[in-house]
Amino acid sequence: MATNKIDPTRWVDRYSDYLFNYTIVRVNDRELANDIISETFLAGLKSMKNFKGEATERTWLISILKRKIIDYYRRINSKKGRAEVRINYNSEDNEGDWLEEQAPDRFDMNAEDQMENEELGLAILACMENLNEKQARIFTMKTVEGIDTETICNEYNITPSNLWVIIHRARLTLAECLKNNWF
Amino acid sequence: MTRFKSFFMDCTEANHCCDKAQYDEASFIEKIKIHLHNLFCRPCNKYTDDNKKLSELVKKANLKTCTEEEKKAWKAKIDSEATK
Repeated sequence: MATNKIDPTRWVDRYSDYLFNYTIVRVNDRELANDIISETFLAGLKSMKNFKGEATERTWLISILKRKIIDYYRRINSKKGRAEVRINYNSEDNEGDWLEEQAPDRFDMNAEDQMENEELGLAILACMENLNEKQARIFTMKTVEGIDTETICNEYNITPSNLWVIIHRARLTLAECLKNNWF
Repeated sequence: MTRFKSFFMDCTEANHCCDKAQYDEASFIEKIKIHLHNLFCRPCNKYTDDNKKLSELVKKANLKTCTEEEKKAWKAKIDSEATK
C-alpha cells in the first residue's frame, strides 16, 4: 500500500547528509560527490511521477543515487583506453620525497572495519530522521561539526539551557533508535 | 528517572551534566557529582552508559556533513528545475 509521500522542497535538509556520506565513500572526491548528488536530485524531480510511495523517499533517492554512481564509473571506464599510466619510481633525484603510493595501508583498520563504519554512519543518519529539523541540525552542529555552544545559541537565538535540552532529547532518541538498529 | 533523588544532584541535573561531559564541557566537580549520583541511581547509570556509547559510535562513524553553501546550491538547482 502506498503510504510514503514525496516532497522535493525538503530533500536537501532531510537527506543531503545521508546521500553525501553514501557517495563520498564510493567516489572519494568531494566535488564529484556534490555533482552526483546534484544529478540525483534533478533525476528525482524528473521521475517524481514514478514514485509509487511503496518505499520511503530516502530509499527511492538512494536507488537513483546508486544508478548515478554506476553511470559515473561506466563513464570513466569507457575512457580507460585513453588513460595515461604513470608509475612513480624512487630515484636518487626524489630521495626523501614522500610518495603517497608507497604509504603502507593502515594496519589498525581493514576493509571490513571501514565498511562497518560506513554502515554505522548511515544508521546514525537514518536515526536522525526521527528528530525534527532543528534538533537534527543542532545535534549535528554540536556533535559532528564540533561547533561551540555559544555560536549555536547565537545562530538559533536560544539560551544554553535550551540547547542542552535539545541535545538531551536528540541523544535520547538516537540512543533508543540505535539500540534497536545497531547495538 | 527524573523523580529519583539522591544526594547532591537530582536526575535531571545528572543527565544534563552527563550530556555536557560528552562534549568535555562538564567541570571536574560535575563529573564527581555524576559518579556519586550514579552510584545510587541505576537509571542514570544506564543513561550514562548509553550516552557514552552513542558518543563512541558517532566518533567511530566519522560522519561528514555538507556545507551550507552546498545545500544552498542544491536547493537553488531544485527550485529552478521545479519551476521550469
